[in-house]
Parts: sequence; structure tokens; C-alpha cells
Amino acid sequence: MKNIFPLIFTVVNLLIIPLLLTGVIRKVKALMQNRIGAPVLQPFYDVAKFLSKSETISKNTSWVFTAAPIIGLSVAFLAGALFPWSGSFLPGKFAAASNIFLLIYLLALGKFFSMLAAMDTGSAFGGLGASREATISMMVEPIVITGLGALCLNAGTPNLQSAFAGNINPIIAGLTGTALIIASLAELSRIPVDDPTTHLELTMVHEAMILENSGRNLALIEYTTAIRSCIFYGLTTQVFFHMLPFTHSMNPILQYAAGIAGVLLFGCAVAFAEGILVKLKWRNVPNFLTFGTVLSLLAALIAVTQR
Amino acid sequence: MSLFNQFNEVNEAGFWILTAFVLWMVVFATGLINKKHTGYFFPAVTITGCLALIAGILFSGKSTVNILVPLPFFLGEAGFDFTIDPLSKWFLAIIAITGIPITLFAPGYLHHLRNRTFPGFIWAGFSMLLLSMCGVVMSSNAIAFIVFWEMMALSSFSLVASDNEQRETRRASFIYLGATRIGTGFLMAGFLWAHSITGSWSFSAWGITGAAAIGPSILILIGLATKAGCWPFHLWLPIAHPAAPAPVSAIMSGVMIKTAIYTITRLFITGSHIEFKWLGIVLIVFGAISAFWGVIFALLQHDLKRLLAYHSVENIGIILMGLGVSATGAANNIPLLTQMGLAAALFHTLNHAIFKSLLFLGAGVIDARTHLRDIEKMGGLIHKMPWTAAAFTAGSAAICALPPLNGFASEWILYQSFFKLALNGPTAATRLTGVFLMAVLALIGALAIACFVKAVSVAFLGLPRTDNARRAREGTPQMTAAQVFLAVLCVVSGLGVPVLLNPLSQITAMTGTGSMIGNIWTIPVGILTIILLTTVAAIAIWMKKLSMKNPVKSYITWECGFGDLSPKTQYTATSFAQPISSIFGNIYRYALEVTTHGRQSRHFPETVEAETRYEAYLETKLYEPFLNWIKKFSGILLMKLQAGSIHQYLIYMAIALIILIRIGVVK
Repeated sequence: MKNIFPLIFTVVNLLIIPLLLTGVIRKVKALMQNRIGAPVLQPFYDVAKFLSKSETISKNTSWVFTAAPIIGLSVAFLAGALFPWSGSFLPGKFAAASNIFLLIYLLALGKFFSMLAAMDTGSAFGGLGASREATISMMVEPIVITGLGALCLNAGTPNLQSAFAGNINPIIAGLTGTALIIASLAELSRIPVDDPTTHLELTMVHEAMILENSGRNLALIEYTTAIRSCIFYGLTTQVFFHMLPFTHSMNPILQYAAGIAGVLLFGCAVAFAEGILVKLKWRNVPNFLTFGTVLSLLAALIAVTQR
Repeated sequence: MSLFNQFNEVNEAGFWILTAFVLWMVVFATGLINKKHTGYFFPAVTITGCLALIAGILFSGKSTVNILVPLPFFLGEAGFDFTIDPLSKWFLAIIAITGIPITLFAPGYLHHLRNRTFPGFIWAGFSMLLLSMCGVVMSSNAIAFIVFWEMMALSSFSLVASDNEQRETRRASFIYLGATRIGTGFLMAGFLWAHSITGSWSFSAWGITGAAAIGPSILILIGLATKAGCWPFHLWLPIAHPAAPAPVSAIMSGVMIKTAIYTITRLFITGSHIEFKWLGIVLIVFGAISAFWGVIFALLQHDLKRLLAYHSVENIGIILMGLGVSATGAANNIPLLTQMGLAAALFHTLNHAIFKSLLFLGAGVIDARTHLRDIEKMGGLIHKMPWTAAAFTAGSAAICALPPLNGFASEWILYQSFFKLALNGPTAATRLTGVFLMAVLALIGALAIACFVKAVSVAFLGLPRTDNARRAREGTPQMTAAQVFLAVLCVVSGLGVPVLLNPLSQITAMTGTGSMIGNIWTIPVGILTIILLTTVAAIAIWMKKLSMKNPVKSYITWECGFGDLSPKTQYTATSFAQPISSIFGNIYRYALEVTTHGRQSRHFPETVEAETRYEAYLETKLYEPFLNWIKKFSGILLMKLQAGSIHQYLIYMAIALIILIRIGVVK
């Protein structure tokens, strides 16, 4: 009976929250631009619509192009279920798997195939997007490993579930959380690194990669992106919760509710920021991400001196 | 013990290993006699040798086997005396299981070199290389070790030089020969020094500690670093590997350079025959630099084999980082850390042997079928060679450490050991080193992904860029089988970590504190893989079902309305790597120059030329001036010494004889 809640929460996490988050972000963004915007549930309708349409595939492609979105979504499902981004924890054997190093490489697995698929069509758009995606993830992965690594060092275990279940130095949590915000903006192609609403030459990261995808294929990719957003925003939220001493010793259901509320609020904050910020020049992106690297290194420095 | 140790005292394990040696000697001899033979005799006997080796490993069980080869095989100061303990067995297993698919692959590949090389000669060199590598990892005294080390160097040199029609190959083989001379020179000097301290040639009698260990350690480590291709002694590696035939590159990059890893482990870590105070920090620093250096230079390469060679530098660096953590653990008395670092390093050695030989074989199929090594001229090969493409993609995913493949398994254990170092290191500086290593490995991992996405997608995906690529076809069934075998091994050794931890824990127990690594692997990788595959299958079936209703339409790639796309408009490898290369541009003075020609060239250019350049400072600023100086100096010296006068030569001989008598060599 005790284990039933985490299972229900996991199903909700994977099936409802991701697209809801996308809807909330779009709604807030529309409000920021003085538009009424589409309903919050619009992404659900969109995905359903894409699934019911036929798909057009370039004749240059191979099996990689068809397989990549499927692999990407499966990996996202697995990562979304394993890692404690919502404040709910999977029990038993899966608890052992919520390891920070597995997290990074599992997400990289999805990215590897999505970059291959982008190159598969022979389109220069896809190439440009894939190349920039590779560059961004080269800068993001050290931030995430160092930041979450610092946090786990403070907790004394590389397992995220156990780390989140215990006490963490609030300063480290604050630094890591801020570093993760920067990392997640870049990783999820949001402003100021990439603009998720266009695929024009000026932006050209994620949307350029998926230019050739349509119909069912696109539905899978949109869904994958939504789950990945949830994982990053959720982990960041959980890290910030550890700045407040009471949040991680609550009743599990309350804790879950707080976690989800945090993810959605984070989405609102991202949308708000997108309303007031402009995209950085591509050349300035490394400088922006350097802030993240410095913050996570500071967190690591504090973590190693504290032990 | 008498040297007349009878063969009948040697147990079954020794018998099988000696059988392997004899079979390879047979191939060596017949290969040299019958140079033009192309049948199945050579591969069949070589593979039988590998199987005999595996039988020997299996028969030996957990015991340590000692073999003393009887007279007349004797080396003056010491005999051919072999010890086969768990560490040797681990490396023997690596040699055997990569040797089999490479041998299977070779006939198909050698066929396309039929007018340029003698197959018998290559088989002779190849079997001698296998034999000498086995000898290196079994030798228990320094003299036998050096003998096999030299056989290994010379046989691999003859293999690199076997296809020597092109000037570039001849140059590469001389550079390689030079590098092996320098490496062996340092190693011999180190061994002699160690001998003069301990008075023994046998490794197990060495127990050099304290300040006395510094000199021999540095010499031996330089010698080994040259063989391993560790920065800054890696220069020969990206030159020699592309020049060699593909099966040779596979065995050299996959296995041969690992003999140096074996020797470091044997001398410094498991046996503590030499205790070098700064070993940990030296290995960590040089490992980290090698790993980073290898991968950023790999990103700049378009030659597929050279790219893979630079990744060998990277992976040697990763392995050395693991050994460095292990040594740090030993120095600070944290046995679990010692064992984790060692296990990660040795496991990665096995895994790298598997996926790197797989990738070199893939490059070999492309080379044999299209005569291309430059990936900018390939493209679309996945349609023509689907098996090679799939195997190469699997190998790339493994080298990028993507779960659930084997690269992930070993890098995960390595990450755990870094974390352990960051958690339990004695000083804040050591702990910070642990964090730093995690960040470096993450950076290297992401760079490797960028590099292999580049390699796979430019070579195999998209449209063919040249006629050669358009006319490609799949390799022979044996070539495909070899690649599939290695790809399956990538999966098996990724999923079978708990099983592989058994032999590894026997090795780590040699560090003296009993094995502790039994339960370091905590990821239920089997279940997770099953879940992942089930999800993939479910979504795929669902997609299939949906496509019954709304079929997939096939259309051209979006070309912005310009008309049919030419393959030239595809993204190139250079452009793919450009953003990352320019970020690290200061390390190798990366420059991109675009010039436009024609009237009104600003808005309506007739031709556009883009050129990227880089300069490796280590080569141009350090090695080149140094080598030029040596060349000049030795030229002058040679002229003076070799004046052509018989009297002068007689004086040399007299002086040499006096010196030899004086230092007591000739009695």
C-alpha cells in the first residue's frame, strides 16, 4: 500500500505534468506579450493532432531518422521515472539507479540519436542545429556533474534520492540551484541561449534540428522535450527546496504536491524571463555558461572544504 | 629451482598457452616462407591459437601458473620465466577476444591490398605481434619482458610498414620505429637502474621504495608513456595508426598500447615492486591532459583512422586517470579507492579494446570498399553498407559511454571512484582533485559525443558526397561477422558487469587487502535495459499501427525552394566541429578564413572559399626544433666519426674493448 503512491505519481509525472508544463509556459509567455494565448491544455491537443496526421519523411533518410524519436522518448520516460525530480521517490531497486552519473549519460543517449537524426536528412539546417547542440551540451554537462556532484558530496552519496532525502548545506544548494538554472536554460534551448519558437538562422539550435520532422515523429519529439524540461526544472526546484529546512521532511503527498507546484512555478519564471530577455549572440553563449561553471565549481569548493 | 623444469610438470593451462605460442610460431614461419599464400590456412591457425589461449585462461581457474621454459631457451642472466596470475590472465583474455574477430576480418581486408603487400608477410607479423604481446603480459623478469617488448615493437613496425607504396606510409613507419626506440631506450635504462638497486632481474624481487625509486620510476614511466601514446609522447600514434592496414590498427590501438597499462599496473600498483611517491598525481595530471588533448584533436580530424587514433590517446588518458586514482588511494591508505580506480582502469582497458577494434574494423571496411579515409568524401554509406553502419554506430555509442553499453559501465565505475576520492580524500586539495576529475570526464564525454556524432553522421548518413561513396558496397560476410561479434561484445560486457567483476576482484585483491569491489556496481542495468527496450518496442509498434491509417509520405529534404539539393550543401565535418574548435582555438591557433571572389563579391559572389587551419604547438614549437637540432648535430658528428679511414675505425674498436674490460663486461 505504501508503494502505491510513488507509482501513481510516476504515471502522472510521465503522462500529464510534462505537457501541462509546456502549456503553462506558453500561456504565461502569451500573457507577457499581452496576448490571451492558447488554452493551457493546448499541447495535449497538439500532440493528439500530430499523432493523427500522416508524416512526411525525406527520401534521403535511413532507419536512424525514424528510430531516433522513439529512442529519445523511451529514454526520457526512463529518466523521468528514475530521477526524483518531482519530490516523489521510486522504491526498491530503482532507488539505486537514481545516480547522477547515470542521469547525465542517459540524457546524452537521447541527445546522441537526436543529433544523428538531424544529420540524416542531409539538410544544412539539421547539421547546424546538431553542431550547436553538441557544443552546448559540451558546456552544460560539466556544470550539471559538478553542481549535482557538489550537492551529493555534501550529502555523502552519489545517489540523488538519498541525497535529496537528507540535509544539504543551504549555501551549496543555492549555488548548485543557480548553476542548474543556467544549465537548464541552455540544455532545453530556451532564451537567452536559443529561441524555442522559431527556426530562423539567428537561433537555429533545437528547432533547426527537428525541421524535417512532421506528424507522429514530431509529436514524439515535442513530448520528449516536455519530459526533459520537467526533469531539469524539477531537479532545480528540489535543489532549491533544500535551502528551506522543512520542505524535505514533509508528508510524501505534500512533498510531491510542492514539487509539482515548484516545477510549474519554475515554468512561469522561465516564461517571464523570456518575455523580458533577448536572445544572446551565439558567440556570447560560452560566456553565459561560464557563470554556471563558476557557480558549480564554487559549490564544489565549499563541499570539499566542509568535509 | 633448476631450469630443467620439465614440461610434464606444467599443468594444463600452461600446455594450452604454449600450444597457442607454437601455433603462432607456425604461422610466423610459414608466412615468411610462403609470402603469397592467400587461403584460409593463416587465419584458421591464428584463430586456433587464440582459442587455445582462451582454453589456457579457462583451465587455469583461480590459480597462478608458473612456467619456466627449459634450456636451451635461456637469456644469459635470466630464463624465459612466466607467471600467469589474474592480472596477466585479464590481458591475455583481451588479446584473445579481440584477436579472434580481427583475424576473421583480415582476409577480406587484405584482399584489397593484394597487389601491394604480401599476405603471408602480414600474417607472420600479426601472429608474432600476438605472441609477443602474450609474452609481455606473462614475463616475470625484466629481461624476458624486454625481449618480448622488442619483438612486439618490431613486429608491429613491420606491419605498419607492410603497405609501403606511399611515401607517407614509409615516413609514418619510420616515425613509429623512432618512437619505439626512444620508448624502449627509456624503459631499458629504467630497468637497468632498478637492477642495479636490487641486484635482481625478477620483478617480484624488486621492492624499491623511497628516494631510490624516483629515478627508475621516471625512466620507466616515460618509456611506457611513449608506448601507450600518453601526452606529450603521443605524437607517433595518430601518424602510425592511419598508415597501418586496418586489422593492424585495430590490434595496435585496441591491444598493443595497453601493454603499457599492464606494465604500470604490474610494477607500480598490484605488486608495488616500485613505490613511486608521486605516481598518483603524475598519472592523474598526464591522464587528464591526454584525455582532453586526444578528444579535441580528434574533433579536428577528417581522416577517419586518424580521428580514431586520437581517441586512443583520449582513452589511454581515461585509463591513466583511473590508475592515478588507484595510486592516490594506495598512497593515502584508502583500500577501497585503490581497488575501485584499478578496477575501473582495467575494465575500461577491456572495453576500449573491444569498441576501438570494432571502430577500426569499420573504418577498414570503408577503406576496402570505397578507398576513402577522408570522411568529408563519404556520406550515405548506411544505405550501401547497413551492417557496418549499425556496428559502427554501436561502437560509437560505446566509446561515448552511452548506457547500457560497455563504455558506460567502466566510465561509471571510474566516476564512482572519482566521487569516492572527492568524498574521502585526506586533504581538501585531493578532494578537489576528485571533483575536478568528474568535471573533466564529463567534458571529455560530451566532446567524444560531438566527435562521434560528427564521424557517424558525416560518413554514414545523408547523401554520398563522391562517386566512390556512391559505389560503396558491404564487406564480405566474414568482415560483417567480425564487426557484429565485437558489437555484441560491447553489449554483453556492458550488461555483464557483475560477472566481469569476479576476475577484476581477483586482480584488485592483489593490492593486498582482500577484494572489496564485489558490490560497487549498483545499477540494475539489466532491468533498466529491458524496460527501455520494451518501451522502444511498444512505441515502435504503436507508430506502425498509426502508419497503417496514415501512411508515411516520402519527399525531398526541404531546400528553401531552391530546387534539388546537391550533396555539397550538406553540413561537413569541418563545419560540424567548428563551434567547439573555435572555443578551444587558443590551444592550437584555430583559424577560419572565408574569401569571396567575383564582381559584387559582397552580395553575389561567384566562388566562395573557406579554409580552416590549425597548428599543434607541441609539434611545431617543441618537437620539430628539437628533432631538427638532433638531425643537424648527428649529421656533423657522423661526418667526423665516419671519415672512411681504417685506422680511425681500428682505434674505435680498441677504445671500445678497453672500456668494456674496464667496466667489467668482458672478463
